[in-house]
Amino acid sequence: MSLVIDQRTRAARFAERADYVGLISMLILGFGMVAIGAGWLKGAAASALVIVLFAVVVGLIVAAVMGGSDVRRKMAPYGLLKPGVLWLSLFFLAPLWSLFVMSLSAKTSRFDFFPDFSWHWENYRVALTDFRPQFIRSFTYAGTATLLTLVIGFPLAYVIAFRGGRYKNILIGLVIVPFFTSYLIRTLAWQNLLADSGPIVSIIDSLHLSGLLESLNIMNQGRLMNTPAAVIGGLTYNFLPFMVLPIYVSLEKIDARLLDAATDLYSTSGRAFRKIVFPLALPGVFAGTLLTFIPAAGDFINAALLGSPNTTMIGNSIQDQFIKQNNWPVAGAMSLVLMAIISCAVLVYTRFLGTEDLI
Amino acid sequence: MSNKPQRRNYSRRDFLIRGGLMGAGALSLPALIAACGGSSKSDSKDNGSTGAGAKTLFFENWPAYIDEETVADFEKATGIKMTYSEAYNDNNEYFAKVQTPLANGKTIDADLLAPTFWMAARYINLGWAQKLDKTQIPNAANLRADLRGPSFDPGNEYSMPWQTGTAGVAYNIDATGRELKSVADLFDPAFKGKIGMLTEMRDTIGLTLLSEGVDPSKISTFDEAAPAFEKIAKAKADGQIRQFTGNDYMDDLSSGNFAACVAWSGDVVQLSRDNPSVRYIIPEEGATSWFDTMLWITGSEQRDSVAKWINYVYDPANAAKIAAYVGYMSPVDGVQDELMKLGGDAAAMAESPILFPSDAEKARLRTFASLSEEEEAKFDEEFAKLVGA
Repeated sequence: MSLVIDQRTRAARFAERADYVGLISMLILGFGMVAIGAGWLKGAAASALVIVLFAVVVGLIVAAVMGGSDVRRKMAPYGLLKPGVLWLSLFFLAPLWSLFVMSLSAKTSRFDFFPDFSWHWENYRVALTDFRPQFIRSFTYAGTATLLTLVIGFPLAYVIAFRGGRYKNILIGLVIVPFFTSYLIRTLAWQNLLADSGPIVSIIDSLHLSGLLESLNIMNQGRLMNTPAAVIGGLTYNFLPFMVLPIYVSLEKIDARLLDAATDLYSTSGRAFRKIVFPLALPGVFAGTLLTFIPAAGDFINAALLGSPNTTMIGNSIQDQFIKQNNWPVAGAMSLVLMAIISCAVLVYTRFLGTEDLI
Repeated sequence: MSNKPQRRNYSRRDFLIRGGLMGAGALSLPALIAACGGSSKSDSKDNGSTGAGAKTLFFENWPAYIDEETVADFEKATGIKMTYSEAYNDNNEYFAKVQTPLANGKTIDADLLAPTFWMAARYINLGWAQKLDKTQIPNAANLRADLRGPSFDPGNEYSMPWQTGTAGVAYNIDATGRELKSVADLFDPAFKGKIGMLTEMRDTIGLTLLSEGVDPSKISTFDEAAPAFEKIAKAKADGQIRQFTGNDYMDDLSSGNFAACVAWSGDVVQLSRDNPSVRYIIPEEGATSWFDTMLWITGSEQRDSVAKWINYVYDPANAAKIAAYVGYMSPVDGVQDELMKLGGDAAAMAESPILFPSDAEKARLRTFASLSEEEEAKFDEEFAKLVGA
């Protein structure tokens, strides 16, 4: 008799704490994945850990099945989070940790393939001083490209959302069509378009606009290729859909009756746009700028294919340090500095724009 | 000129930048680091042990750097099975890929690699190359005298050249409006913003050094090469240099984006067939010569197959077939005569001054000196700054 009561209370106690069990097991599993990914454990120890982690998962499933619906309800969120958490622990957190360790390691010689961790902050000094021009250039180019995509993308999204009618889906589909070919091919196509003997330069020449464009610093010695303008243009083109899509989603949700109401209340259409459409589109603008600025700042393909030796971005430098110079510690430091700067910029921007909800 | 039969569309360095970018573009940086790590655990024995005594020889070479028949002919002649791969796109990138397994003492898929001479020196210095069984390579005697015993491998114990070429000045006469004769022409302000240079440090710096009257085969410290670095830095700041390129200079040269550039001989042999405006010279100040090697990598157990392969391609008749196809200078003596015997296009190539420079031109060729590890690091670092990376 007493035995039965005991079991009930234990089950009840377990049911009360089921969410803690879910949370703690998720943390253990995530940590285990990082341990394997970052190479803290190797060989047999790693295999043993995998078996333990597998047992934990099986145990949790058994507990959820055996426990009542109450237990299941409490454990479900952690169960659903687990695939994502495990995936990111293994493939994002673990490499990030390795990168951090590498960025504070020192090489004893050029072909020292196993740099030792030694709190070598010198790498960060090199990253910040030797590559300062590239950092500044990256953020300038990415910022300019983001502004341009906004200027081009907002009207585009606006027209599709409000005037697209039954062609809406086709039009938004056309925005995505360029993604059907590779990023690289699209950028190579720009090489042909901007070539000295290519179509764009010849039109500019026949309209005698090259003098104007030279004075605006867009052209250089009568050419568009291998100039900062070409790199920024490439970035703008390649990231435009990332700006258009989120703005379109925001605009598309706007209830057209709000605009009717504004008209009824004697608002001009310009005022209605400022007071209704634009504020409601801000979450899309916010998401679009982040989706454009962050990858554009780290991009290296546009600078490599459309730029000159005077337009290299930080992505080119990081690639060069990793692959050609074999200088993983400095390359690691550069990568982390880039991440840190972008994270700070995004935090400030979030505060400034004040939109906590992205959607 | 009549229609040429199936010429390769790409030269050996063609995939350099693009291939690299495509690869890198597909991977994010953290993934790249991870990718550099592993990938090579499978050992070469897996490829070959289909039956008793069956062996597969794995040769990792530059893209489109061999004719279409030699591998099959070799297999027929020797009974050795061969895997011929063209994944060697860039010296530094390939090194980055195999350094981790090799440094860990593991084997990589390939038995033979085709690093350029200075990279071959690095592999040998790191102890990652094996001594060739020269008793099985009697044809090694056919190696051109000027290529014998490079400083990093006196006696050619570890390496044998695969193909050789020169780096000189190429120009598009439609864009320059005149014939060029010297490296100094690359710094002519008339061509401002229309000059290309190679990302291959030894060719770009070597050629510029020659124009400064410094012999690149005799330098040993960075200070001796500093004038060339300063000259290029100034040209870059002035906007004289449009871009540093890998093989993509071929498009730019053909379209006239580049009026002139530093170029590799074999590429221009190819390019000038389609576009007669493109010309190549060994400048009056001189040019650099380079060679790619065949290197037997550590961990490979294919001693006999490797030796037989090298012996096979050092037979002048076989070497001539390769030379006729790739358009570079063969390291094998007697190839010129064999090309004549082949007749047709091959015979025309036997008379090409780019493949077989005159004695006067040969006297102006220099091979970049081998640098100590420390000095090489300094050169590479300073050159990276020039290139803008």
